[in-house]
Amino acid sequence: MRRSAGGSERTAAAGGARGRARESPLKYVPLIWAALRRRKARTILTFLSIVTAFFLFGVLQGVNVGIKQAMKLTNTARLVVNSRVALYDPMPIANASRIAAVPGVAHVAGFTVLAGTYQRPSNVQLVIGTDLAAFFDIETDLKIPPAELAAALRTRTGIIVGKALAEKEGWKIGDRIPLHSLNIVKKDGTSDWAFDIVGIYDLPQTEWATRIFGNYDYINDARASAKDTSIEFYVGVKDPGQAALIAQRIDDVFANSPNQTRTQNERDFAESTLRQIGDINYLVNAIVGAVLFTLLFLVGNTMAQSVRERIPELAVLKTVGFSDPAVQWLVLAEALLLSVVAAAIGVGLAALILPAVASFPSQGIAAMHVPNVVFAAAVGVGIVLALASGVPPAARARRLDVAAALAGR
Amino acid sequence: MTAVVSLKNVVKRYSRGKQQVEVLHGLNLTVESGEFLALMGPSGSGKTTLLNLIGGLDRPDEGEVWVAGSRLDELSSGELARWRARHVGFVFQFYNLLPVLTAERNVEVPLLLTKLSRSQRKQNVQAALELVGLADRAKHKPAELSGGQQQRVAIARAIIADPTLLVCDEPTGDLDRSSAEEILGLLEILNRKQGKTIIMVTHDPLAAAHASRRLHVDKGTLTAQEERSAA
Repeated sequence: MRRSAGGSERTAAAGGARGRARESPLKYVPLIWAALRRRKARTILTFLSIVTAFFLFGVLQGVNVGIKQAMKLTNTARLVVNSRVALYDPMPIANASRIAAVPGVAHVAGFTVLAGTYQRPSNVQLVIGTDLAAFFDIETDLKIPPAELAAALRTRTGIIVGKALAEKEGWKIGDRIPLHSLNIVKKDGTSDWAFDIVGIYDLPQTEWATRIFGNYDYINDARASAKDTSIEFYVGVKDPGQAALIAQRIDDVFANSPNQTRTQNERDFAESTLRQIGDINYLVNAIVGAVLFTLLFLVGNTMAQSVRERIPELAVLKTVGFSDPAVQWLVLAEALLLSVVAAAIGVGLAALILPAVASFPSQGIAAMHVPNVVFAAAVGVGIVLALASGVPPAARARRLDVAAALAGR
Repeated sequence: MTAVVSLKNVVKRYSRGKQQVEVLHGLNLTVESGEFLALMGPSGSGKTTLLNLIGGLDRPDEGEVWVAGSRLDELSSGELARWRARHVGFVFQFYNLLPVLTAERNVEVPLLLTKLSRSQRKQNVQAALELVGLADRAKHKPAELSGGQQQRVAIARAIIADPTLLVCDEPTGDLDRSSAEEILGLLEILNRKQGKTIIMVTHDPLAAAHASRRLHVDKGTLTAQEERSAA
């Protein structure tokens, strides 16, 4: 305890003022928190803006990650045959036998897709009508007990559903699933279809098992229009090393026909389909970049206003002994607290919501999630945002002339 | 007695546009330990400038400023900040409390610069608030306190780190007579019972009457001096 200069009796209030050493930067948190609470509405609005921006950041990065993971799961040894005129333009199903005759082709499956609502209009399910035997020979990743596949082959109305979808809808083998079709009208003029679950397939990543496969013939025989067509052919090859050559052979078969084809391996097909939307990676980065750039001005303006309004208070801090760098760090800490916490919450919300969205079968990309690297990136971007928006006002606080500030100059 | 404050030939100039205005002209001043000095004078005479120099908030253009054994005009900005934290408590006319902090948090602010633990800081804050008679208002924010109470909180903040010197700039300038007397009485107690050296700038002769010595500043020089008869 230091005594006052005159050696007078000690000030009661200051007993042990410079006593035991135990320092923590956390002791400054009330000061920083108080500064943020000074204009609650402004702080909350800025905070929500940052949360929203980083939510968008997390969602877009999560979608990007989902797409990339989906790409990784595609197989270059499987071929997809589409109409050269337009994607999913119907082709004669009879082309399946011509494709099957191409040397090197092991299996061919044509497709038709019935989109129907289940129980409520918002619950849209897609039934992929195909040659189930051929399809499951090509798609070896799909695991199904042979007895269930056999049951599907002998039951016209039989469908095989993904495990994740079955769990979500509470379906089990033996259930009858009525669907009200949105795209295929029956010959009798109705749009109501009934399917029987005879099998449940699984995938190494169960959350991806969200589709429904049925018999092509059942849908094709009952439909009123577009009979005997396929929107795509799925091809398994005997030698994956020959896939490119076989693709070329298939296109050559139809080169001089009214149904010219474009044959690609599964990965190329997925990538070219995505390219029709645009460069997803570029779009994601451009949107996030624009949002963060706008945010920079918003947070920068908030911080500048905040410091401008608190000039006398900052002067008081310097008066009682806070050094120039200490005051500068207090202002920076304010910007950091605001930006980093909001960024973490924004990305956290995205991390919570994305898997929920992805869990809706047929609604999104099942692998969508916010990986740890995106969390780290969000915190990093939050820090950069805080520094970029906080450094100018913090520098102003550092340069503050106490005497002039106290005099209101 | 020892001199706590010693100013030698201090000159201070300010820039007003392209003009240099000399506010203090070769001023000399000595303040002994335990003194209660009132600086009086008309507006613009240089009282606050003088107070800022003594409190280490400003630097002279010429001359030497010695306070509590340190030559302030030679200290760096960081050294001066540390010196202020250790040696000076400030009391302002408009209290200058942080509006979003409670009374106890306001008083605690200077202690954040010490190495005291949270419980020690709390204990000291409680003692300071008791000393100024506001222990029961510890959780109130400045807006919930009267002017006199706010000034008492400011005094508690000024003395919390046991400074050598209390520097008060018009501490009663914003208060009614009754509150002003309370504050002046409190300063007298700190001066007499705690031995605090106090330098107070005031326009008010009644406030100055509480000081043990009164100096008049006019146009940047000390013009008159009077001692108070023993109370």
